[in-house]
Amino acid sequence: MSTSDGWLAAALVPLLALGPVLWRIAHGPAKDRLVGQNLVSLLAGLALLLAAQGFGRPSYTDVALVVSVLGPTGTLIYARFLDVLPDSRLVKWTALIGVPATVLPLCVATGPGRAMAKLLLVGALLIAGSVVTSARGGDGGTTA
Amino acid sequence: MTDVLIVVALLLVAGAATAAVLNRDPVRQALVLSFLGLALALLFTFLQAPDVALSQLAVGSAVTPLMILLTVRKVRRRSGNDHGADEPAGRER
Amino acid sequence: MSFRFRLWVFLVGAAGFAVLFAVACFGLPAFGSGHHPYGVRAVRASLNHHTANVIASVNFDLRAFDTLGEETILFAAVLGAVVLLRQTQDERRKTPEPAVVHPRVRRFALLTLPLALLVGLYVIAHGQISPGGGFQGGVVTATALHLLYVASDYRALERVRPLTVYEIGEAAGEAAYVVTGFAAVLAGSAFLANVLPFGTLATLSSGGTVPLLNAAIGLEVASGVVVLLARFLDQAVEIEEPGEDEESGDPREIEKPRESQGPGKPRESEEPRGCGRPKESEGPEASGASRDDDNRDDKRE
Repeated sequence: MSTSDGWLAAALVPLLALGPVLWRIAHGPAKDRLVGQNLVSLLAGLALLLAAQGFGRPSYTDVALVVSVLGPTGTLIYARFLDVLPDSRLVKWTALIGVPATVLPLCVATGPGRAMAKLLLVGALLIAGSVVTSARGGDGGTTA
Repeated sequence: MTDVLIVVALLLVAGAATAAVLNRDPVRQALVLSFLGLALALLFTFLQAPDVALSQLAVGSAVTPLMILLTVRKVRRRSGNDHGADEPAGRER
Repeated sequence: MSFRFRLWVFLVGAAGFAVLFAVACFGLPAFGSGHHPYGVRAVRASLNHHTANVIASVNFDLRAFDTLGEETILFAAVLGAVVLLRQTQDERRKTPEPAVVHPRVRRFALLTLPLALLVGLYVIAHGQISPGGGFQGGVVTATALHLLYVASDYRALERVRPLTVYEIGEAAGEAAYVVTGFAAVLAGSAFLANVLPFGTLATLSSGGTVPLLNAAIGLEVASGVVVLLARFLDQAVEIEEPGEDEESGDPREIEKPRESQGPGKPRESEEPRGCGRPKESEGPEASGASRDDDNRDDKRE
């Protein structure tokens, strides 16, 4: 198994985790929907980062960058309309553990430079987005 | 390895699309649709078509949910007088 | 056109399409082979014009005219939505109540807003180098502005969003694309031909007209999405139909727009009398008209 295959195999981990999340979104209780939505963009962002490295195409990181910006935005839009924030420890800890576990090896693999700065930015955005949207005691606002 | 990723992404897309059809509540459909959008973006990336993946992400992750949710709110507000607010609006469509 | 006639038209068309499609399928290169006639030519043409992102070269150089059609479809779609979702005579505006937003969400949204705007502009500007381009970046930019709605409420968004500017921006983007095309004609080449110097491969100024066309599309898409979402937000948040709420007052009277609504709004209250829809907005004329529009779009494609 070559190195690029290793990165792609690593991308399989967040990808497979999306299966149960889909089940929760489609069939779970109302409270879990938003948690699921929040988790999906986080996992997709990680899978995209690993896939970019696996394909040896640093420019694919742009897709992950857009996910890291628009994913939390989507979650906040849902939060506004459903009047809840997804206060979930699962999302928070997945972000706090999963993002460094993904981004730091990628940084080591790419070496210092602009690509690494972009990776760190995506990682920071993914963590910030997940932690903020899973703030405890959240109240998404009453009316628009 | 790429083939495995593509197959998993295809399964996710098929599962999400089926779930979106089977759900009857528009808000939940919107959530499943968001998932479908992200799964499609992943699939496009694994097929090495990042331009298409970016288009899908840009449209599917925030703009489409916002438009659906705004429409649901408007329709529910209008039908609120006739049927009562609990009735999921647009169920017939 | 009767149902029978339409059915026959469809069957004849479908049969013709099936024959041509089957013939075309037999002419395709074998699936999974290493022989890519179009791909080889597209990559060569793209590298000749110093455009690192072959997709951008195909969209904005080789097939720039197709992209003009796509842009026009979006333009027409936004225009149609604006016409259908306008405020009619028997609808009135109410001031939405301010929303209560979790302070952490507000801080995050306000911090992400400039970053998201930057990401959108980055995607537009790097269309000729890396994945992305005018459409993708334009939608991200428009989404970024709506973080303000998430951070506080619709009134805050309205205060910083002069809708007229975005309506002009949408038209200007569409016009800029056509003007770039005619500039090539004036330079003695074909419509939308790539006549500018190509620059160095994989730099921001490479690709000749590709970055310019990307910028035009970005302007059009970003403005178009903002205008489109503004109509949806107006309908969902502000505009009320008669009998939608138990508040008193003559429902036929259009309220003066609030001063905070920005310069884009007053136009709606100046609509000519007598063009109001019946109470149910899905009345026969409204839906019939929209169906006609769809048909026309289909034919044009």
